[in-house]
Amino acid sequence: MTSSVAEAEELDRMRRRIFLGLFAALAVALHTLEALLPSPAPWFRLGFANILTLTALFLYGGRAAWSLTLTRIGVGSLVLGSLFSPGFFLSLAGGTLATALMVGARALFGQRIGPVGVSALGACGHAAGQLLVAWLLLVRHPGLLNLFPVFFLFALGTGIANGIAASLLLDLLRSHRAFCGSTEGPGAPLSFPEKNKRTPT
Amino acid sequence: MALGDLLRRTTLLDRVLVLVLFAAALLSLFLLRPGARGELVIVEQGGRIVYRAPLELERTLRLSGPQGETVLNIAGGHACIISASCPHKVCMGMGEIARHGELLACVPNHLLVRIEGGEKRDGDYDLLSR
Repeated sequence: MTSSVAEAEELDRMRRRIFLGLFAALAVALHTLEALLPSPAPWFRLGFANILTLTALFLYGGRAAWSLTLTRIGVGSLVLGSLFSPGFFLSLAGGTLATALMVGARALFGQRIGPVGVSALGACGHAAGQLLVAWLLLVRHPGLLNLFPVFFLFALGTGIANGIAASLLLDLLRSHRAFCGSTEGPGAPLSFPEKNKRTPT
Repeated sequence: MALGDLLRRTTLLDRVLVLVLFAAALLSLFLLRPGARGELVIVEQGGRIVYRAPLELERTLRLSGPQGETVLNIAGGHACIISASCPHKVCMGMGEIARHGELLACVPNHLLVRIEGGEKRDGDYDLLSR
């Protein structure tokens, strides 16, 4: 039996879909777990779920990152019971701006930018988006601006930490057989030896 | 994690980006630091305003009430009560005030000193959400 190109592409597509589903599930779990942690203010989140978005961005491209972010926020808010609450809109705005910045940076700079830089940018975008919507929707008070620098610095720190975590995770995943052909963008069909066509992973 | 490993994981652009964002954060910290100082000192006695002047105006007020004299000192952008004739001296223990919304009160002398103007101080939540 010979493996045709069409089969390899089909296998690749299926594999992507499955791993993206797993990533989304993990992101929702992290998102929910994080809500259980005590925090000084409701908006100070560590953003662990972004590790999975970063991984998806670097493995499968911008579209995957978008679907992961939106799924995570939608399903995560269902789990937490905060759908359409102010917190949900804050989360959505932050996630949207962060993902836009991350995908944009990746598209603009390609290989010249790594997970740490993208993550830092995304975290700051998240902070800015959240504060912007908090300003527009909730409190039009100049005192909110005083919060911005602290928020921004905190986001930068967590962004760098998450970027390092994503970098480690990417190293780990890329060393695995199921991901060895996965790079950004469509195509890059996997060429497995015949016996590995049904990889037990 | 070793620093060398960390640097190996980042590209040049990553480092530049992080530095730029850090600089932006510090700059915003500098530009947006809380300018919550108040502007006016208002002294009320028995519900009537007996003194109203900018906080910058340095002076010492001698305010007499039912219990005797209370001395309010306004200097260096702060207001504080430096001597009081009341038994517990709670008002002296309240320290210095300078920000909007802060109060000094001397109950036996029916005295209330408050600061107005400027921005609201930090820590006043309008709303909490999650």
